Amino acid sequence: MLTQVIRRAVWPVLLSLTATLMVACSSGSGADGELSTEPVTLRFTWWGADDRHKRTQQVIELFQKQHPNITVRGEFKEWNGYWDSLATTVAANDAPDIIQMDELYLASYAERGALLDLNEARKHLDTSGFDGKALATGAIDGKQYALPVGLAAYSVVVNTDLLAKYGVALPDDTKWTWEDLRKAGEQVSKAGGGTVWGIQSWGFNDAGGLHVWARQAGSALFDDQGKVVVPPKVLQDYWTYLLDIAKAGTAPPPPVTVEKASAGLNQSATATNTAAFAMWWNTQLTALTAASGAKLKLLRLPGEAQAKAPAAYYKPSMFWSVSSRTKHPAEAAAFVNFLANNEEAAKVLLTERGVPANEKTRAAITGQLKETDKAAADFLGTLPVSDPPRVTPNGASTIEAILKRHTENVLFGRATPEQTAAAFIKELQSEVDSAR
Amino acid sequence: MSALDELRRLRRSGTAVRKRDNKAAFWFLAPWFAGLLFVTIGPVAASFGLGFTKYNLIQPPKFIGLDNFGRIFTDERLHNALGVTFTYVLVSVPLQLAFALGVAMLLDRGLRGLAFYRSAFYLPSLLGSSVAIAVLWTQIFGAEGMVNRVLALFGIQGKGWISDPDTALSTLIVLNVWTFGAPMIIFLAGLRQIPAVYYEAAAIDGVGRWSRFRHITLPLLSPIIFFNLVLQIIHAFQSFTQAFVVSGGTGGPSDSTMFYTLYLYQQGFSRFDMGYASALAWFLLLIIGAFTAINFWAARFWVFYDD
Repeated sequence: MLTQVIRRAVWPVLLSLTATLMVACSSGSGADGELSTEPVTLRFTWWGADDRHKRTQQVIELFQKQHPNITVRGEFKEWNGYWDSLATTVAANDAPDIIQMDELYLASYAERGALLDLNEARKHLDTSGFDGKALATGAIDGKQYALPVGLAAYSVVVNTDLLAKYGVALPDDTKWTWEDLRKAGEQVSKAGGGTVWGIQSWGFNDAGGLHVWARQAGSALFDDQGKVVVPPKVLQDYWTYLLDIAKAGTAPPPPVTVEKASAGLNQSATATNTAAFAMWWNTQLTALTAASGAKLKLLRLPGEAQAKAPAAYYKPSMFWSVSSRTKHPAEAAAFVNFLANNEEAAKVLLTERGVPANEKTRAAITGQLKETDKAAADFLGTLPVSDPPRVTPNGASTIEAILKRHTENVLFGRATPEQTAAAFIKELQSEVDSAR
Repeated sequence: MSALDELRRLRRSGTAVRKRDNKAAFWFLAPWFAGLLFVTIGPVAASFGLGFTKYNLIQPPKFIGLDNFGRIFTDERLHNALGVTFTYVLVSVPLQLAFALGVAMLLDRGLRGLAFYRSAFYLPSLLGSSVAIAVLWTQIFGAEGMVNRVLALFGIQGKGWISDPDTALSTLIVLNVWTFGAPMIIFLAGLRQIPAVYYEAAAIDGVGRWSRFRHITLPLLSPIIFFNLVLQIIHAFQSFTQAFVVSGGTGGPSDSTMFYTLYLYQQGFSRFDMGYASALAWFLLLIIGAFTAINFWAARFWVFYDD
C-alpha cells in the first residue's frame, strides 16, 4: 500500500520541484543588458581584517545610495576560512555574485569555469584607467576573469618602538643581508626576556616569501609552463634559516609560532607587539598599525642588495571577480565598476587593499592618504622590482597549506630541511600535474 | 446474527479509518522522505558513481576507472591520516566508556538531586561536537590558555598544547572523553536493570566490592557495554568538527590532527578532487563496516545475555 501511495505522490513532488527550478533559472539576464529597475540583491564576499570590513561596508552604502533598488550583502571572513567557504558555496551553485579573488586561486577558479569573462560586461565596467600590463594579470587565455584591485610588495614590517625600547639599531634596508636580520633579531630576543622575540617566523601563509627567496637565488618557483623549477638546495637553505632562528630563540618556540600563524592578522606577533620583525605585504601596514598601536615601519627584504636582480615584485594584491553563475551579471559588473572607478569609494578604501592599480583613482587619492597609507605607497613607489612570477598554476592553489605543513615538519623536527625540500617539490609538482 | 453484522460493520469502518490515518501519516512524513531521498540516498548513490571519476566540482566528471581506489594504497598522507584516526578511536573510545561507566556507577548510588547531576553530566555530549566547544578548546589549550595558567600556579611552564604536534591529538582525545554523557545515560539505565538480589546475595557471602563489580556488574552490563562500544566507535570514526576547528581546517600541526574525514574533506573542497574524496568516503564505510563486524564477532566471547 505504501508503494501505491508513493507512486501517487511522486508526480506532484517532481512537478513542484521542476517548477521551482525553472523559476530559479529564468530570472537572469545577460552581462550586457540594461540594469534592472526591480529590486536586486547582490552578494559580495571578501577576506580581511576589521579595518577592511568597516571601509568596505561604507562603500557598499555609497553604492546603494546611487542604486536604491540594489542591495549588496557583504560576507566577510579571515583568509584561512575564506577559501573553504568559497569552495563549498561555488560547488553548491550558491556562489556570491562578486568575489574578492587572489592570484593563488585565479587560475583554479577561472580554468574550472566559475568566473565570468568581464569583457562581456564592458558596457557597465570601465577599465580605461588600468594599464594594459596590470589588466593582463587578471586575464587567462585572453579572457578577463578578474580586475586587479591594488598592487602590493612583500616587505619586512619592523616595530620601531620595540627596537627603541631595547636599544637595537634600525638596520639599513638598502644593504642588509639575511644575516643582519638574524643578528638584529637575536638582540631583541635577548632583551625581550622570553616574552618578546626578534623575528616572527614565516613559512606558513606565505607564498610571497617563498617566491622572493627563490628569485633571490636566481631561480623561480614555477616556470612559464607551471613546472616546479626551484632547486632543492635553495629550499633547503630557506628551511635551515627558519629552523636556526627557532632553535636560537630568535623566533618564538614552534608551538607559539604555529598558534600565531593560524590565528589571523589581529593575533599575529606583529599585531600583539611580541615580535620586532615580520614578513608582511606592504599594504597590511595600516591594519597592523591599527591592531598593534605601536610605530611600525616597512623595510625592504634582506638579501635584495646581494641578489643579481631585485627579487621583489608588484603583486596584484587581489582582484575583483564575478561569478559565472550570477543571476545579475550587469548589476554585479556595475558594482565592480563602482569599486574600481568611483572616486568617493576610492577615498574610503584608500590603500587598504593595495595602492590602487587604477591610475585614475590612484591620482585621486594621493592627497588623502593617512600616514601609514602614504608610507605603504611610498615604499611601493621607490622599491626596485622585477617582473612578477607567473600566475600560480591551477592545482597549486593549496601551496600555502603545503608550505605550512612542511615548515611545521621542519620546526618540530619531523624532517630535516633537506628531506623537506625534496618532499615539497615532489608534492607541489604532483598537485600541478593532477589538475591537468 | 445482528451482533456479528455489527462487528463486521465496525471492522470495516475501522480499516477505513486506519487507511485514512495511514494516508495522513504519510503526508506528515513526506518531507522526511523527501529529505531522505534527495539529501541522503541520492548523494550517497551519486558518491559511489563519482568514486570512479575525476570531478573538480564545476566541470562534468570524467570516468577514470579504479584509479581513485588504487591511490588509496599509495597515498602516504592518507596512511598518516589513518594512523591518526585509529589512534583517536582506539584510545578515546575505551577511555570515554570507562569514564562514562565510572560516573554512571557513582550516580547509581542514589544521590540526592540525581536528575540534576544526570543532566549536568549529559550536557557536554550535546555540545561536544559543536563549533563553539571546539573554539573554546583552542582557548583552553592555547599557549596562553586556561590549562597553562593553572599549570603556572604550580610553577610548571606549559606550552601550546594544540599547536604542538606531539600533544595536539591528545587534546582532541580529552575532548571526546569529556563528551561521555550519552553512553553514561545508557549505562545508568543498564545498571538499574541489574536485580538487587544478586548484590544482596553477594554481600551476605562476604564478596568484596571489586569482585561484585567484576562478577556481577560487568557480565550483566556487558550487552550495554557492547552497544555503547559499537556506537561510539562508529561515532569516533566520523569525528570531523573538532579537528577542523581546532586546527583551523588544516589538520595540523604537521598533519597530527588529520582525521580521515578531514583529509577527505580537504581532497574534495581544497584540492577540488571530488572523485578521490568520494572513493575515500566509501573506503571509510568499509573500514567502519570491518570494525563493526569484528566487534560483533568478538562479542561472542565476552558479551553475556541473561535471558
